Amino acid sequence: MKQLALAAAATLALALPAAALETPRKIVDYDIKVSLDPETKLVEGSETLKWTNPGGGPVGELRFHLYWNAFRNDRSTFFKESGGRLRSDKADTGKGWGYTDVTSMKWDGAELMKGARFESPDDGNPDDRTVLVVPLPRPVAPGETATLAIVWKAKVPKVFARAGYVRDFFFFGQWFPQIGVYEAKGRRRHAEAGWNCHQYHANSEFYADWGDWRVAITLPEKFVVGSAGALVSEKKDGGKKTLTFEQKAVHNFAFTADPRYVVVEDVFDAAKDVPKDELARAAKALGRSEADLLAGFHKVAIRLYRQPEHGAFDRRHIDAQKWALAWTGLWAFPYPYAQISIVATPEDGTGATGMEYETIYTTLSFKWMARWPLNRIHIPEMVTIHEFTHGYWMGLLASNEFEESWMDEGINTFTEFVMVDRKYGAFMTTPRGIGFTDEESNRVSALTQDHDPILANSWKYATEGSYGRNSYPQPGITIQQIRNLLGEEKFWRAFRGYAERWRFDHPTSEDFFDFMRASGNPLVADLIQKTWYGRGWVDFSVFTAETHRDDGFTGFDDAGKPVNFDPDPKKKEKKKDDKEKDDKGTWQSLVTVGRDGDIEMPATVVLTFKDKTTVTRTWDGASDWIKYRVTSSSPLVKAEVDPERRTVLDRNPWNNARYTKKHEGPSAAAKGRTYALHLVEILLSTLWGVL
Amino acid sequence: MSVFSTGLGAALRHRRLAGILWLSLLASALVTAGPMKALFKVLDEGAFREALVKGWDGWAFVSFVVTQDRGIAIALASVGAALLVFALLTIFLTGGVLRALIGGKPRPVFRLVIAESAGLFKANVWATIRFMIAASFWLGLLVAGPAALLAKFGKDAAPHTFLPELRFWWMVVGGAIVFLNVGLRYDLARVALARGEAVNARGAYRVAKRRLRGSRPSAILLAVVWIAIGLAVQAAFTSWGLRWNPHTNGSTFGLFVFRQFGFFVLAMVRVGFWASLLEWEDRRRPSPSLYGV
Repeated sequence: MKQLALAAAATLALALPAAALETPRKIVDYDIKVSLDPETKLVEGSETLKWTNPGGGPVGELRFHLYWNAFRNDRSTFFKESGGRLRSDKADTGKGWGYTDVTSMKWDGAELMKGARFESPDDGNPDDRTVLVVPLPRPVAPGETATLAIVWKAKVPKVFARAGYVRDFFFFGQWFPQIGVYEAKGRRRHAEAGWNCHQYHANSEFYADWGDWRVAITLPEKFVVGSAGALVSEKKDGGKKTLTFEQKAVHNFAFTADPRYVVVEDVFDAAKDVPKDELARAAKALGRSEADLLAGFHKVAIRLYRQPEHGAFDRRHIDAQKWALAWTGLWAFPYPYAQISIVATPEDGTGATGMEYETIYTTLSFKWMARWPLNRIHIPEMVTIHEFTHGYWMGLLASNEFEESWMDEGINTFTEFVMVDRKYGAFMTTPRGIGFTDEESNRVSALTQDHDPILANSWKYATEGSYGRNSYPQPGITIQQIRNLLGEEKFWRAFRGYAERWRFDHPTSEDFFDFMRASGNPLVADLIQKTWYGRGWVDFSVFTAETHRDDGFTGFDDAGKPVNFDPDPKKKEKKKDDKEKDDKGTWQSLVTVGRDGDIEMPATVVLTFKDKTTVTRTWDGASDWIKYRVTSSSPLVKAEVDPERRTVLDRNPWNNARYTKKHEGPSAAAKGRTYALHLVEILLSTLWGVL
Repeated sequence: MSVFSTGLGAALRHRRLAGILWLSLLASALVTAGPMKALFKVLDEGAFREALVKGWDGWAFVSFVVTQDRGIAIALASVGAALLVFALLTIFLTGGVLRALIGGKPRPVFRLVIAESAGLFKANVWATIRFMIAASFWLGLLVAGPAALLAKFGKDAAPHTFLPELRFWWMVVGGAIVFLNVGLRYDLARVALARGEAVNARGAYRVAKRRLRGSRPSAILLAVVWIAIGLAVQAAFTSWGLRWNPHTNGSTFGLFVFRQFGFFVLAMVRVGFWASLLEWEDRRRPSPSLYGV
C-alpha cells in the first residue's frame, strides 16, 4: 500500500508545473479610507495603491475595474445582459442606480485621469464604464512598484446583484477602484504578458491579484460593521466612528454595515471540531497519518452577523461553518486565515445573499425556515457551506472566474454536495424520510442536453441557464464521475494534490485536469475532453431482455428424423405458453445493452434470474452495444446496467433495466398510482372547505 | 343538544349521504386515472422498480420529474380537469344533501339527492358565482387593500418588525375571518334555497344575511371547529397512509381501501358540518307569528 502511495505521489509530482507557494506573490497593497453617508448612500474614498509590475517587460498603461458602474444606467453591459435581473432579484430602476467616479489618480504627483478612458474589451460596448484604462507618463519597469494616489466618489446601488443597500443594510463588494490583473508571460499558461481586466458581466464574477489591505471605514456610530480582515483600531468622533481593518494575503476586500446586526462569536478548534470518523476516512483515502492531517490546523474565530429575528439559525450556520472548516482542512488543506465572518443578510436584501469574498461571505436565513417541518430543509446550511468553500476555489486558489467560472463554482458545487450529504444525509427530507440528497439535486443537469461545453468565458454561454448549468452542477457532477472512475484513493489524492499545489496561486482548468489525468486512466482524459471542451453525454440502456426454455435440439436431425417435435400435422402442438409456465429445465437468455452518446464509460451488467441467482458482467463500454447470451437453470427476470449507479452522468437512468415476462412481483406503478390518486383526492377535498 | 352534537349525530346516522359525497370525490379523482396510469407505467419497466416497492428513492424521484416531464404535464392537466369536475359535482350535490338532511331520513337517499340537487342546481350555481364575486370584493377591500397600505407605510421597515408582521398576520387571520364570513353567508344562502325560503340566489343571500346578523361569532366558531376536525381526519389518514408503505400488491390494495375509508370519514365530517349549520340556522329562524299571517 505504501509503495502504491509513493508511486501515486511520484506521478503527481511529475505533473506539478512548479512548486507550491507558502504565501501568495504580493502584487498589490491597498490602503483605503472610505466614508459612507447612509442617508444619501454616497461614498467618498481615497486609496493608496502600490502595484508591482509582475511582468518581464515595461507596462505603459494601467487598467482598473469600476464594478459599480455596472449599475450606472441601463446601457452598461451588465444591465444589457441581465435585463436588470439577477437570480430572482430585480434592479430598482427608480432610485437604485449606483456608480463609481474616479476624480483623481496621481503617480509621482502627475495627474493620470486626464488621459484616462473607458474601454470594453469583451463586447466593445461604448456605454460601459466598468473598465478604466489609464495611460502612464512613463512605463512601470519590470519589478518596479508604482504608488498611486486615487480619489473617488461613489453611490451605493440598491442591492440586487451582490453589492448594495436596502434600507440601512449595506454590503460593500467590488466597491473600490481595483486594479486589473497584469498576467506575466507563462502565468495561467499565457504565451504573452498582458492585462486581464474584463468588464462586469451579468454572468461573471471576478479575478484579482494577491496583496495586503488596510481599510479605514467611517460611518455613523450606530452601525455594526463586519469585514474581511481583523479590526485593528476604532476611533469615535462627533457621532461617527472610524474602524480600521487589515488583512494580508487576499485578493479582495469586502465589508458590511447594518445597525441591526447581532454578532454571534465562536471558535473553530480542530481538536473538538474535526469529526473522528472523517479524520479516519481522510487519512485512509489520502494515505497520510491522522497527526499529519491535523498538523496544519489552527483555531479560527467565527463571527456571525445576523438579523435579530434569525437567532434560531445561529447553531445551524456555525455548525455548518465548523464542519466546512474541518472538511476542507482534511481534504484540501487547513484554512490559513485567523478568522471568518458569516453575514446572514436581511430577508429583503437577498440580492446580497449567497456571495463569497475572502474571509467574509453572505449566507441565507429566512424566519419561516426555522420551524418544523421546514427546518428539515438544509438550504441555510448548504449556502453557508457553499459560500465558505468558495474561499478555497475562488479565494485561496484564485481562479479566473471571468474566463473559467466552473473552476470556482463547479469544484465548489462538488465539494458542497459531498459535505452536505455527508453531514446531513439528505438535502431535504420529511419525517417519513421522503427527500433527496444535494448530489441528486445537482445530478439533474446530466439529464438534459445543453448548448455549451463546460469551459467557456462566462459571458459567452448561449443563455443564462447554460452559464448556470455549466458553471455549477454539470462540472460538479462530472468531477463526481471522475471520482467514480478513479476510485476514492486515487481521486482524493489527486484532488488534494491540486489544492495544495495551487494554493495562493492562479490555476487554470488544465492545471486541475493535469492532476486528474495523472492517474493514467484514459477514460478520465476522454471524459475531460468530451465534457469540458465538448458537449459529450452518455446514456446506458437495456435494449432487450429475453428468456426462453432450451429444450435441446429441436427439428430434423442429419438423418431426417424429427427430434423433440411431432411432424404429424393432425396432432395438436402443445402451446408454447403452457410449456414456458414451468420454470424447470435449461433456459437461454439474450440481453442487449447499449450505450448512447459519445462518452465511453465502463459499466456493470447484472442479470437476475427467477431463482434469485445473478450473473454479473463488466462491459468496457467501448462499443455502442453488447449482447449477452446466458444459459441458466432458471429463467431470466431482469437485466440491469449500472445497478450501483456509478455513471452519474447517465442521461436517462429509467432505461437502465428491463424485465422479462417471467418477472413476478409487486408493482411499483400500482403503488405510485395509489399514492398519486390519494394526493389528487386530498387536493380535491380541500374544495369541501370552500364550496 | 348542542349544534355540534347534532352534527356529529347526523354524520354517524347519514352514512349513505357521506357515501354519495365520497363517491363524487373518488369519481372526480378517477378522471386522472388514464394519464396517471400512462405516467407511472415506467415505474414497473425501469431501474427503480424494486427500490420503489421497498420505499423511497430520491434519485428516482428527481430523475422522474425531469425525464417524464411530458407525462407529468398531461397528468397535471387531468388534475385540473378533475378539480373542475369535482367543483361542479360539489355545487350540484350540496343542494340535494341539504334537502336530505332537512328531510331527516337516512335512507334511501341516492335518488332523492340526485333529484333535489338537479332542482336546486341552477340557483346554487348563481349562489356560487355571487360567493366568488363577494369573496373577491371583501378580500380585496378588507384584506388586500389594508395589506397594500401597510406595505406602503412599512416599505422602509425591516422584515419582521411591527408593520411587516402586522401585515402578515392581518393577511392570514384577517383573510381567514373575512373568508369565513363570506363563506358562511354562501352556505346559509344554500340552506335558504334548500329550505325553500328563497327561489333564487339573491333572495337566499338576503335570508342568509338576516340569519348571520348578530350571530357571526358563533357561526364562525362552528365552521372553525368542523374545519379543524376535517384537517385532523385528513392529517391522520395521510400520515398513516405514508407509514403504510406497501411492499406487495395486496398491501397496495389495502392502502387504497384504507385511504378511501379516510375520505369517507372526511365526507362524514362534511355531512356533520351541514347538519350542524342547519341546526344552528334553525335556532335563529324567527318564531312563527302569534297573530298569524
